[in-house]
Amino acid sequence: MTRRPRPRGLRARLLVAFVLVTVLGAAAAAWSSAGSARTALVTSTQQRLTEAVTGRIEAVVPELRYPPDRAALDRLRAAVGSNTLVTYEDMRSVGGADTGLVTRELRAAVRSRNALVTQRITAGGRPWLLIGTPVTITAPDGARSPSGIEVYAVRDLAGVERQTDGLTRSAVSTAALALPPAVLLALLASRSVLRPVRDLRDTARRLAAGDLGARLPVQGADELTELTVTVNEMAESLQTSMTAMRRMQTDARRFAADVSHELRTPLSTLTAVVEVLATAADGMEADARESAELAITETHRLVRLVEDLMEVSRFDAGTARLRLEDVDVTGAVRDCLRARGWLEEIELTAAEEIVLRLDRRRLDVVVANLAGNALRHGEPPVRVHVSASREQVRIEVTDSGPGLPADVLPHVFDRFYKADAVRTRTPGSGLGLAIALENARLHGGDVTAGRAEGGGARFVLRLPRDRDPEDGRAGWDV
Amino acid sequence: MWCAAAAVLLAGCGVQPSGVTGGGEAPTGVAPGVTLYFVDAGGELRPQLRPTGRLGTVSDAVQLLLTGLGDSDLRTEIAPTTTPRVVVTSTPDVLRIEVPLTIDDVTPLGIDQIVCTALGVHVQGGGSRDTRAQVRFTLPTPESEKHRRCPVTG
Repeated sequence: MTRRPRPRGLRARLLVAFVLVTVLGAAAAAWSSAGSARTALVTSTQQRLTEAVTGRIEAVVPELRYPPDRAALDRLRAAVGSNTLVTYEDMRSVGGADTGLVTRELRAAVRSRNALVTQRITAGGRPWLLIGTPVTITAPDGARSPSGIEVYAVRDLAGVERQTDGLTRSAVSTAALALPPAVLLALLASRSVLRPVRDLRDTARRLAAGDLGARLPVQGADELTELTVTVNEMAESLQTSMTAMRRMQTDARRFAADVSHELRTPLSTLTAVVEVLATAADGMEADARESAELAITETHRLVRLVEDLMEVSRFDAGTARLRLEDVDVTGAVRDCLRARGWLEEIELTAAEEIVLRLDRRRLDVVVANLAGNALRHGEPPVRVHVSASREQVRIEVTDSGPGLPADVLPHVFDRFYKADAVRTRTPGSGLGLAIALENARLHGGDVTAGRAEGGGARFVLRLPRDRDPEDGRAGWDV
Repeated sequence: MWCAAAAVLLAGCGVQPSGVTGGGEAPTGVAPGVTLYFVDAGGELRPQLRPTGRLGTVSDAVQLLLTGLGDSDLRTEIAPTTTPRVVVTSTPDVLRIEVPLTIDDVTPLGIDQIVCTALGVHVQGGGSRDTRAQVRFTLPTPESEKHRRCPVTG
């Protein structure tokens, strides 16, 4: 036997529960009332039949000869009616074909109890009532003694059975009648319960989709209304905190952008001054020249930092734009390394000539950053491997250094994150990897950090092929 | 499920067989004869069984009482009558016996003879022991209105 599927959904469950309760209740009520009516019917019929028999006996016995002869017994039997057996000592007067149904236990009870007894039996598929009674002699003072005359009557109860069957049928049909109203009520009840639930679901969906202004109308005062109010409050506080967070974020970005912008002009002046200082450095004393060189280096660092900050601000503001052109990726990577004089130290391998539509300058920034990091923080040999699949172009930069510790890995792309707390004064701005990642994302790709097989660090730049140039963050204005 | 429920419903219906149960008192009323009441030498009521072979009705018994005694050492305190026609009407509480006598034809003991004979047959025929007898005479008398009980059987 296959298991029937359980009803899913509130509506189906409500419907089933309602119908079950109603029909079971109706069936129980109808069944119990039919049962008591049936018992009452059987009892009253039995009483009527018994009283008829005793009435007929009492009407005739005062005129009956005692001790009775054969004729007297026949007269008594005729008076009681058909299907009657009258006995006195060894004499029997039998009338009717069904007197053979009289049971042995009924006879025994008549003799032992010296009172009228009845028994219901089923014979030949029909119910019968057996009535057995002695006829007693009453003394003038009321004392009773058995006369030895016994009367047995067999009565058919088929009529009663037909009536009780009718009662049962009406009980069943009453229970069945309760079915349509139960279904109707269940549908009404489920609708009134499910409509607010559906509204809640729709509102929750809108909230999840980002429509923080979604609210539910509050009606009534039931549990669902409490839930509605709670959902509204939740949406309210969510909206408030989201607004506050966005404002703070915007403020912070604008501040960074403003600061870097404001620093540019004084820095230009400072750079000019430092360059003058650099030309004059050769004629200085040794320690003065050292200070001048330090000032020159730090000024260059400051310039780079401000440039990086401005670049990051452009990404944050969404104003970074791609200047796409068809670029030979391997060639671009080689140019990038050659321009920085790294071709000697870095082993470049490329599978084939790969042409991809991208922003050449930004690719240069990313590769330079990854390769520069490998040279600075890792150990030679440093390898750059360019490969392509149908979906994407991979530029893999690996070194043979100690690699990235597991606790550092999740943070390498964070802004101003320094893996080594002691080595704070590195030439980098602390924004290089963040900018590399933003650039990769601008192309619809990404940069991931991991461990190379030899134990060193491995950075992989992935750039997708067949990208819609308008897609991605390039057109995303916040 | 509905088929099972219907089957359960239908299985419980109909007339179920039962054991032997009591159905009340057995009918009564057979008797080898009728009991009449006469007066003995000491002035006491005495029952006398007439072996008629059947109990008969109350009026039969009272008529038999009125026809007299036959040879016996008992006596009757009811005057002999030539037309012993007795009419008995029965209500739930009272047995009214109309006798073809005046109050002068009977002594109080004679009235008791009639009352005891009538109530005796009534009880023997299955009647209640609380039934009273009212003996109505042919001529108006306050005695006709009394509801009596038999001093012997109570």
